[in-house]
Amino acid sequence: MDDRLFKAIGQPLERKEDERLLTGQGRFTDDFSLPGQLWAVMVRSPHPHARIVAIDASEALALPGVRAVYTGADCARDGLKPINHSPVPSTQFDLKLTGRGGTPVFVGPHRLLPADRVRHVGEALAMVVAETREQAAAGADAVMVDYEALPWVADTAAAAEPGAPRVWDDLPDNVLVDATFGDIAATDAAFAAAAHVVTMKTHIARVTGVPLEPRAALGHYDAATGRYTLYAGSGGAVRQKREVADVLGVDAKTIRVLSYDVGGNFGTRNRLYVEFGLVLWASRQLGLPVKFRAERSESFLTDYQGRDLVTEVSLAIDQDGKFLALRADNLSNVGACCVSLSPLSKGSGLITGSYDIPVATLRARAVFSNTMCTQAYRSSGRPEVTFAIERLVDKAAREIGIDRIELRRRNLVRADQFPYLNAVGSSYDSGEYEINMDRALQLGDWPGIAQRRAEALARGKLLGVGFANYVESSIGTPKERADVIVHARTIEVVIGTQPSGQGHETSFAQVTADLMGLPFDCVFITIGDTDIVSAGGGTHSGRSLRHASTVIALGVQDLIEKGRRLAAHVWRVAAAEVGYEAGRFSGPGATLGWFELAAHAGDPTLPEDLRGGLKVRRDNEMHTPVFPNGACICDVEIDPETGGIEITRYATVDDVGRCINPLIVHGQTHGGIAQGVGQALWEQCFVDPHSGQPLMGSLMDYGMPRFDNLPAFTNEIAEVLSPTNPFGVKAGGEGGTTGALAVVMSAIEDALVNEYGPLDISMPATPAKIWTAIQQVKAAAPAAA
Amino acid sequence: MTTLALTVNGLSVERDVPDNTLLVTYLRESLGLTGTHVGCDTTQCGACTVRLNGQAVKSCTVLVAQVQGAAVTTIEGLAPGGRLHPVQQAFKEQHALQCGFCTPGMVMAAVDLIEHHPGPLAPEFVRSELEGNLCRCTGYHNIVKAIVMVSAAPRQAAAPTVALAG
Amino acid sequence: MYPSTYHRPASAAEAAALFAAHDDAAFLSGGHTLLPTMKLGLARPAALIDLCAISGLSGVSLQGQTLSIGATTCHADVAAAPEVLRLIPALAGLAGSIGDRQVRHRGTIGGSVANNDPSADYPAAVLGLGAKVVTDRRTMAADGYFVGLYTTALAPGEIVLRVEFPVPQAAGYAKFRSPSSRYAVAAVFVARTAQGVRVAVTGAGSQGVFRATAFEAALDRDFSAAALAGVTVPEADLVDDLNGSAAYRANLVAVLARHAVQNMGRVVLLK
Repeated sequence: MDDRLFKAIGQPLERKEDERLLTGQGRFTDDFSLPGQLWAVMVRSPHPHARIVAIDASEALALPGVRAVYTGADCARDGLKPINHSPVPSTQFDLKLTGRGGTPVFVGPHRLLPADRVRHVGEALAMVVAETREQAAAGADAVMVDYEALPWVADTAAAAEPGAPRVWDDLPDNVLVDATFGDIAATDAAFAAAAHVVTMKTHIARVTGVPLEPRAALGHYDAATGRYTLYAGSGGAVRQKREVADVLGVDAKTIRVLSYDVGGNFGTRNRLYVEFGLVLWASRQLGLPVKFRAERSESFLTDYQGRDLVTEVSLAIDQDGKFLALRADNLSNVGACCVSLSPLSKGSGLITGSYDIPVATLRARAVFSNTMCTQAYRSSGRPEVTFAIERLVDKAAREIGIDRIELRRRNLVRADQFPYLNAVGSSYDSGEYEINMDRALQLGDWPGIAQRRAEALARGKLLGVGFANYVESSIGTPKERADVIVHARTIEVVIGTQPSGQGHETSFAQVTADLMGLPFDCVFITIGDTDIVSAGGGTHSGRSLRHASTVIALGVQDLIEKGRRLAAHVWRVAAAEVGYEAGRFSGPGATLGWFELAAHAGDPTLPEDLRGGLKVRRDNEMHTPVFPNGACICDVEIDPETGGIEITRYATVDDVGRCINPLIVHGQTHGGIAQGVGQALWEQCFVDPHSGQPLMGSLMDYGMPRFDNLPAFTNEIAEVLSPTNPFGVKAGGEGGTTGALAVVMSAIEDALVNEYGPLDISMPATPAKIWTAIQQVKAAAPAAA
Repeated sequence: MTTLALTVNGLSVERDVPDNTLLVTYLRESLGLTGTHVGCDTTQCGACTVRLNGQAVKSCTVLVAQVQGAAVTTIEGLAPGGRLHPVQQAFKEQHALQCGFCTPGMVMAAVDLIEHHPGPLAPEFVRSELEGNLCRCTGYHNIVKAIVMVSAAPRQAAAPTVALAG
Repeated sequence: MYPSTYHRPASAAEAAALFAAHDDAAFLSGGHTLLPTMKLGLARPAALIDLCAISGLSGVSLQGQTLSIGATTCHADVAAAPEVLRLIPALAGLAGSIGDRQVRHRGTIGGSVANNDPSADYPAAVLGLGAKVVTDRRTMAADGYFVGLYTTALAPGEIVLRVEFPVPQAAGYAKFRSPSSRYAVAAVFVARTAQGVRVAVTGAGSQGVFRATAFEAALDRDFSAAALAGVTVPEADLVDDLNGSAAYRANLVAVLARHAVQNMGRVVLLK
């Protein structure tokens, strides 16, 4: 890859998407309507676990405008299949999760509507379709369901205990995954010989993505053509098409999925929702389009949720502060059925974090519970394990008496160790961890801590500085396809990724423009319509730019070859005599640019394989993961009188590999930080332990990051190219979140430890929790002399 | 059902709708102006913000019936003839939007803020005044930058917005 | 939303008559309490009676030493009213701290006072200043008006016309907000009046706004932060929820009272 060709790549170009989004011309799912459309509203279980004894829809059906009420029995009768979420990660480099004793993982069938049992509060068990949304809602209120409440379990650790109420009768207990990785004997030996052993147990609680656009779907079956059309924003229209076809038992060719502008994803949209299949099926039953739109409270209840990991980690350290071994026991709560094991899997590969720890053992388990299903959420699995290792290192530093930065420095993976194979088999591609750590310390003014602390104290505040390194991984669906088409005056690239704000229309155009020696302005990216996008992996796990840039690069190579043969035909010379450089084809005494050349593509004398336009279709498959990494540092100020906490400074250094558009990457970092900080300080999907009821059901209860509780950020991009793909791209979408949980809790500890000792404050570290923890120390302290 | 009339983006409109029709529903479904978005059900997210008689309001919590005869400006009415309003331009330059869902409401709230507070705005003031608008993508950093930038620039004479889209 | 008919009376008498004529009617002012509850299906009035077209119900006026605020005056207008800023700046600041910018352009004092949300700001000012609630039937003193959670002394169909605030010698307000709802976990309004100190607490009480009589007595003896040392509100009457325990709220009340006393004439928003 010749950097000198880069005119657009690396530039902070303004986005092509913005014009329409800024002027109200965005095309989000609810913006679409079809003539005659009916509305669907779901009937949802109020119980965490119950048998469905009977459903009486007679009252609902008698209400004005109500056209139908569907139940699980109707779905079963029509042979609708459960959604095949393929939850067990299966790329070459994912850790192989299995059931106990190496058995296949039982995932729990995810039916569109269950016929026998509901397994979480909010599970849909019936759908009412009516002429207006209000009528459908009134109908849903009128559906009488006779439930037999069953014993339930919501808490992650409790769900894994023998004797816990079983979510699925198919398993002897709720543990669907139980696999151990690493070298047990060597780990045990290292622990036995260690000078110090530090242990930590924590529960990283559940949060939810809260994309601003509530999920929605508009389904239309056209009897005349036998085709289904589904408008539904998602993380990948191609995948949704395939899964919906499977559920309905129809040929995928009969389905068209349209996912244009998507109002935030973060993982919540990367799996099919029952409503998306149901509206298509209902449309076929009723002969009219059927539309569904979730209320925000419905989204809180039934969007696929994130995190929820109980982890116990131990670190064995020698007398010089060198890490010898790590032990981890990770228990992931998948909810009522298993939609994705990505959080457990991705996290498992990174338990040793940024440090050179020669041996490790991990026990990875997943457990069912009577809660909403969980799925990958922004940096799936990595913020959790980063929190575990970084907080453990903080603890070790304190207990051993070594400065927490120095302890890190002694153990960071060194630049000369790359590619670095960690103790659980992840091969980190490249990195300059120590350089980035030092740069972050500089950006965060580490040397100025004492002065800032004193100044804050004068204002009655306790200041703390947090620090964390992080390394995360980007694997993602291995296959991607690009169509590169030369039109009369523009280049069109059709690609199977699915942006929800990451700026693909811009960054992919930058890549294409430079590869083809053309201006950025003439390249356009097409996504989201499966009648045009024939294949592709969607967007998740930071895969998009890496896969897209690679397949586009390969496609452009093919296109250049095709162009040379076309030019050879035009000039009646051998292809070998046609040169290509920087967007121009040259032959004896003549040159042609792309568009001029494309004008010849209609020539009837062209050989077969050159007809039909100057375009190529290219597929690519890449399995090798990349490892974005970095460091973060933040200041917090705590008012000990109220527990009130403010983040006053936050800086990061992020190695994203090659940065195509720094404006976009910084934006991703900002948003990623906000989501991590949100989990550290305010967000939690809290379930009442006595009733099993989710209590954070609206924006009134769920604490979102806002304008006035986040600081401005200072961010730097480090470009340490990855050797795994032509552009050296890693990923830039998830680093911001990965270190955030650790760095914020580290700062809180630093603020309070001198005065109160190490406090056990769980996330979210709300003011009430901070204050209460302080009071407990005060109460236990001996009276002042 | 009642016939309810307003001026929207400079044009008089009239539709027959149920009495309890929310302003956002009237805009999106009766007028086809889908730029104003619904993001929540507790009047918090601000994605539905429009300007009503020159004041930013959350259109999901206003009945059209309450504001008959009023002048409403939506995001579609902000950029006359395709030339972006300075706030829209600044958002584009500063990458103050990602998925774009909160953006129309954000822009309308920002326009309202700047028009009611002439002169350069401090970042802290912008942050406290926009508490009623949520964004999940940007972490707010670039939005604050964009608004501060516009507030500090010399004010052009405001062109009245008259384009009705949809 | 449940179907409702909408009515826009031109007078209080007409509004009262409309209320009486319907089985299940609700008054509508700014709508920023009623409409959200209707959207969530928690309220289903068959008739909505909009009070905003009734003349004389909006605006701020000064009569002697009484600041009268019309029921349909929005929070933004109270926050910006010159007389309020001049005479009871803490009240202006309190109005300016309600909700957010957009909410303040619509929400009204009448709606807030009629609703008596246990975390709302206005009840603290009304009780703290010893204001009078004037309806179409009578005038009620603040003491005895706020009866319990979401409950006031208003009779069904009674219409709040205005709230009359006696101008105090000084007033201050300090608030600590929940990071999620942005409502007060606790907030304290302190007023020095000719009849003594009044301290009203919102956000913390399990029955809504209340007067912290121990604080009033201490400040009557000595109006200073030092006088508040060791003075508390009984935890048994305080809310215990995910925003904080009763003990936490009791602590907040003491801290906020001190901040209010130290910042009279202003509103303090603690972070």
